[in-house]
Amino acid sequence: MALFSAFQTTFLLALLSLKTYQSEVLSEPLSLAPESLEVSIDSARQCLHLQWSVHNLAYHQELKMVFQIEISRIKTSNVIWVENYSTTVKRNQVLRWSWESQLPLECAKHSVRMRGAVDDAQVPELRFWSNWTSWEEVDVQSSLGHDPLFVFPKDKLVEEGSNVTICYVSRSHQNNISCYLEGVRMHGEQLDPNVCVFHLKNVPFIRETGTNIYCKADRGDVIKGIVLFVSKVFEEPKDFSCETRDLKTLNCTWAPGSDAGLLTQLSQSYTLFESFSGKKTLCKHKSWCNWQVPPDSQEMHNFTLTAENYLRKRSVHLLFNLTHRVHPMAPFNVFVKNVSATNATMTWKVHSIGNYSTLLCQIELYGEGKVIQQNVSVKVNGKHLMKKLEPSTEYAAQVRCANANHFWKWSEWTRRNFTTAEAAPSEAPDVWRNVKSVQGHCVVTLFWKPLSKLQANGKILFYNVVLENLDRPSTLKLLSIPPPANGTELTLDQCSYQIRVTANNSVGTSPASIIAVSGDPGNKEVEEERVKGTEDGFCLSWKPQPGDVTGYVVEWCERPGDPLCDLQWKNLGPDTTSTVVSSDAFRPGVRYNFRIYGISTERIPYLLEKKTGYSQELVPSDNPQVLMSNLTSYSFTLSWKDYAAESQPGFVRGYSLYLKSKAARCLPGSEKAVLSDDSICCKYKIDNPKQKTFVVENLQPASFYEFFLTPYTSVGEGPQGAFTKVTTPDEYSHILIRVILPMIFSILLIMILCYLKSQWMKEKCYPDIPDPYKSSVLSLIKSKENPRLTIMNVKDCIPDAIEVINKQEGTRKSLTETEPTKPTYLYLLPTEKSHSGPGPCICFENFTYNQAASDSASCGHVPVTPKAQPQLGLLTSSENGPKALGKNYVNSLGEIPAGETNLNYVSQLASPMCGDKSSLPTNPPEPALCSEYKTQMAIPMGLASPPSITLLDEGEHDH
Amino acid sequence: LQFSLTAPLCLLTLLLLPLSLGAPISPAEPISQAYSLALYMQKNTSTLLQTYLQYQGSPFSDPGFSAPELQLSSLPPAAVSFKTWHALDDGERLGHAQGAFLALTQHLQLVGDDQRDLNPGSPILLAQLGAARLRAQGLLGNMAAIMTALGLPIPPEEDTLGVVAFGASAFERKCRGYVVTREYGHWTDRAVRDLALLKAKYPG
Repeated sequence: MALFSAFQTTFLLALLSLKTYQSEVLSEPLSLAPESLEVSIDSARQCLHLQWSVHNLAYHQELKMVFQIEISRIKTSNVIWVENYSTTVKRNQVLRWSWESQLPLECAKHSVRMRGAVDDAQVPELRFWSNWTSWEEVDVQSSLGHDPLFVFPKDKLVEEGSNVTICYVSRSHQNNISCYLEGVRMHGEQLDPNVCVFHLKNVPFIRETGTNIYCKADRGDVIKGIVLFVSKVFEEPKDFSCETRDLKTLNCTWAPGSDAGLLTQLSQSYTLFESFSGKKTLCKHKSWCNWQVPPDSQEMHNFTLTAENYLRKRSVHLLFNLTHRVHPMAPFNVFVKNVSATNATMTWKVHSIGNYSTLLCQIELYGEGKVIQQNVSVKVNGKHLMKKLEPSTEYAAQVRCANANHFWKWSEWTRRNFTTAEAAPSEAPDVWRNVKSVQGHCVVTLFWKPLSKLQANGKILFYNVVLENLDRPSTLKLLSIPPPANGTELTLDQCSYQIRVTANNSVGTSPASIIAVSGDPGNKEVEEERVKGTEDGFCLSWKPQPGDVTGYVVEWCERPGDPLCDLQWKNLGPDTTSTVVSSDAFRPGVRYNFRIYGISTERIPYLLEKKTGYSQELVPSDNPQVLMSNLTSYSFTLSWKDYAAESQPGFVRGYSLYLKSKAARCLPGSEKAVLSDDSICCKYKIDNPKQKTFVVENLQPASFYEFFLTPYTSVGEGPQGAFTKVTTPDEYSHILIRVILPMIFSILLIMILCYLKSQWMKEKCYPDIPDPYKSSVLSLIKSKENPRLTIMNVKDCIPDAIEVINKQEGTRKSLTETEPTKPTYLYLLPTEKSHSGPGPCICFENFTYNQAASDSASCGHVPVTPKAQPQLGLLTSSENGPKALGKNYVNSLGEIPAGETNLNYVSQLASPMCGDKSSLPTNPPEPALCSEYKTQMAIPMGLASPPSITLLDEGEHDH
Repeated sequence: LQFSLTAPLCLLTLLLLPLSLGAPISPAEPISQAYSLALYMQKNTSTLLQTYLQYQGSPFSDPGFSAPELQLSSLPPAAVSFKTWHALDDGERLGHAQGAFLALTQHLQLVGDDQRDLNPGSPILLAQLGAARLRAQGLLGNMAAIMTALGLPIPPEEDTLGVVAFGASAFERKCRGYVVTREYGHWTDRAVRDLALLKAKYPG
């Protein structure tokens, strides 16, 4: 109470004084001047802080005033700054104003003065300037100390791209000072003899630890410098956003701007301010902050996020209603209940977001590769019935919620997995059969395709096969076959059965698949047609069947040639007459056979058509083994009957026969073709694939040919193989063979005969010693004049002469020089016995032959020539004949040593020679003692011109 | 008494040192230890200086940077005329070194703090400065042992830095660190010479 009364008193006094003042002012204008001006320095920020007061104000008086402030540099006349500062002034209130200098304050002397004026509508008459205060001088240089050099500003912190002024203050006038920025010399302006100023424009960020700027004197080792800390531009926070999960706590997040680039000097701070509540919080984290919402606070919030560092302050604002920024919590207590084969119920709870708010919940159901999405409105408890589910299927259901009235964000999902119950299989199994007749029995192989997951509706436990004998309808047979078997083989006594196949799971039985087997296996002969396959499969079509057909089945093997051919089938409706059979198992070059069956109303399949084809034809894999026959001069025949055209990877359309010959032109029926090795040959095209022989005609006799046969499909020919060489025979050779062969045969026959009868022949034709009696000469003689004349008898021949040759050395003479020397002959006189015969026994020698025989130093028969030498004299036998020599040879030594007196024994062919063949000499004498055997023949006297014949000295003539 | 002790025995003696206070100890052994430590320190001083300069930017990191006239009033310079140095008696010699390494340990601590502020992202430099300080402290201990062995009074520990250290600008702190690391090298060199001389004088 006392306080209140004191305040009241003061107020009254102030009012009184104001009235007094107004009356004074009205009477005499009073200047209100700034007084007590003080100037201080903040070196770190390069600021001048001014403070002053206005004394002449009345108590409690508040006036709007404007103060004009002048700042001059170096000298007072150099005013660098004038500013009018308006403020409300009270009596004795200390007024403050600051000014930041671009130039470091240490670089120059600054002076400050000011004046004031009232700028108040209440007292318009006082609107004039007061007097200037005196200049207040600020001189930092004087207090610097005695160092020779200073550089300013110290440790300045600036943003990248700003302009900075640097100066040095030197105490020495003589020294030249040079200054460098990161080693690069700077050029400045001299402010006064001791001070130099450098203006750096658009300073770059170099490194986090600052930029060194230093100055040094020319003389001495003085280095002074500063570190200029250049930061990157401080950016404002981005993506500022707030949300709540429970309406009690707000979580605000933002992306801070890029790092200022300085490690310690520029720490950033983030402050969150809410203007309605006036609350403020300093955020501990760089990118998010939590804000507690007071329980009774208003829904509207106006947030200001202020990011601040030493140099800059950045703010972002956000105005929002709290309920519009609800990010609900994930649903909880989520259950899937009442799961049947097709339905399930999902229940969940949500955290309330206010008393009247509704949540929108989204349910997603994943199953069988599908997603079903549904939305439900929920207050607290959520419930959703999931219908049309597939039996025996795994599902995943998940739920999330958001504010239904003001959507902001979905909550996280809460997920549950469940599996629906099984149901009876929905479809009959797809069944097909293969019927064989084995030893009068019907062997039926049943095949069925496993039901798909959707059809099976659970795990198939077994397949039931019911056999009903159609002839005896009451007879049923049941087989139960567990999976994974997809078929069975049945041996039936006869082939008239109806077979029903069902699939069963734990819940029930599928519809039955019915197939009938008749006595006729339905494998009647049907013409096979060719189909052309494509990459997409085989397009098969068939003629529609008249009458009742309940459907068609196309059957094929995916692995033809394999005993387990992997039988496939395709069921088609009764109105279908074409289908495309495609399979990933189809391979190029493999022949696939398709059978198309019609299904009768009795469910009996019967074969309609057969198709065969390749999904992609290839060139033949191998060439036939070609046999050549009937080779003549003009033709030959080729055949390849063993070639398996069916097993080729394409339909063989025909054959190509390549024929190489030296002839430039191709024969009729062929055309020129170039082979892969660029050789040219003639090509015969055999269009008929069934033709397996070919006659190559019109060839040249005795010519060389090469041929090569290859099949071709629609794609091309078989592999290039080796050519077979053939040479046609000569035209006349067969004639020659007909002549020469018998001739050779005849000659051979004669030769064999001759050989067998050689003795006889020899005797007949050329005896060793001709029998004069058998000689033709004899007959000749006989026929002529002297019938008395007979052949000399051997015993009539008496050796009759021995010749002693006294030969002179060097008296060798040629045959032609016969006359000058006369050999000394011992003439042998004929004995009495020699006259006993019809004529004297005459021996003579053929010189001509003898010489040759002598030259060859061999002995031989000397044919007798009827010519006698004129000087031949009749040799008479001597009594001193060498008796020691018993042999009947005429010895003639090849060489007689000179000066020796040789005794040459010359014997007349004795009688054993004549006629007695057994005494023929079989051992000729040793070559060293080569004796010359002289055939002697008794010649009738009438034939020899001289009546006496002398045995010549051989040495005389031969040596 | 002079013993020729093997190294393990030497270590044992060191361990037993607190237990045998007052017992007369040969100066040769602490001299030898101090000498070994000084030699080891000498190997790393130039590396420390180069590492330091490399982190300070131009002109410090410029090749061949040298500013011999930069001195610190708080740190006694190692440079001394040979004649003066040679004429020092054991007490003066060890006293100078003792004083210098005491100042160096304190200055190295200061420089380490400065660099933690100026170059926080350079653990190598900070580690080397820390290691240098610890070695300087080790050498101080060794010298105290020598002085004890020689019967010399151990000078009291003083605060060599005073109160002037904190107002320095970043550039001044860089310069200060340069002078400290440089003088650390010079004083280590001088200590090696000092101890070599003492080693010769008091052979084991």
